[in-house]
Amino acid sequence: MSENEDKPKDAIGLKYEKLSLEEVAALVISPCCGAASFFVGTTRNNSEGRKVIQLEYEAYTAMAEAEMKKICTDIRLKWPSVKHIAIHHRLGLVPISEASVIVAISSPHRADSLKALQYCINTLKATVPIWKKEIYEEESSWKENKECFWFKGEK
Amino acid sequence: MGGAGPLRAIPCSDTVKVTVLYFARSAELAGLRTETISVPQQITSLQLWREIVKRHSRLADIEDQVVFAICQEYVPLGDQQFILHTGDEVAIIPPLSGG
Repeated sequence: MSENEDKPKDAIGLKYEKLSLEEVAALVISPCCGAASFFVGTTRNNSEGRKVIQLEYEAYTAMAEAEMKKICTDIRLKWPSVKHIAIHHRLGLVPISEASVIVAISSPHRADSLKALQYCINTLKATVPIWKKEIYEEESSWKENKECFWFKGEK
Repeated sequence: MGGAGPLRAIPCSDTVKVTVLYFARSAELAGLRTETISVPQQITSLQLWREIVKRHSRLADIEDQVVFAICQEYVPLGDQQFILHTGDEVAIIPPLSGG
């Protein structure tokens, strides 16, 4: 496959089933790229000293997809060498240690995919309308990302 | 009284039906995820919020924590004025926690 045949792709997904790192890798690996960078966000069994049993995610699906596409557009402006971008986010109940989000980005050389990867996950936390509820033994609470632009808690 | 006075601005009394979407904590407080409400066509985001709180008083608790997404664009509660259309989607957006 020549470089021209592997056209840049943005793959965005909101999924109720378990996320697959392998599937996401297949979406971004490219014969013309020497780098594919990955971020996997996993659910943690503790938060601020409390035991977390599981997590539950919900999204404003249509807008979340639109905001993720905007992030892809921004990445391509900032790092034009980026080839493929994949962002998969899980919704619904997520047991501890499973992936809630996987971001993968390929580029010819590693510097751009690594920088774009960090930008992608930070911006996702700030702008994509998705919410996480931590479920403890007897109650639950909605979390707030410090990156969210109207967040008023301690940064 | 009467006679040819200057034309008075007539307050815009047209109403439109918009779909309100509630998410996360706002859905728990409102007790529902979506509804259609009638609101003045021309309205500020803060007035729109007050209309919604009239229907679901428990939402007042999170007034300083939410923004709107009007037709999928983020809008803080404030004096910015909007012209809404029937069928527009107005979402209540509590602080985000994706990732």
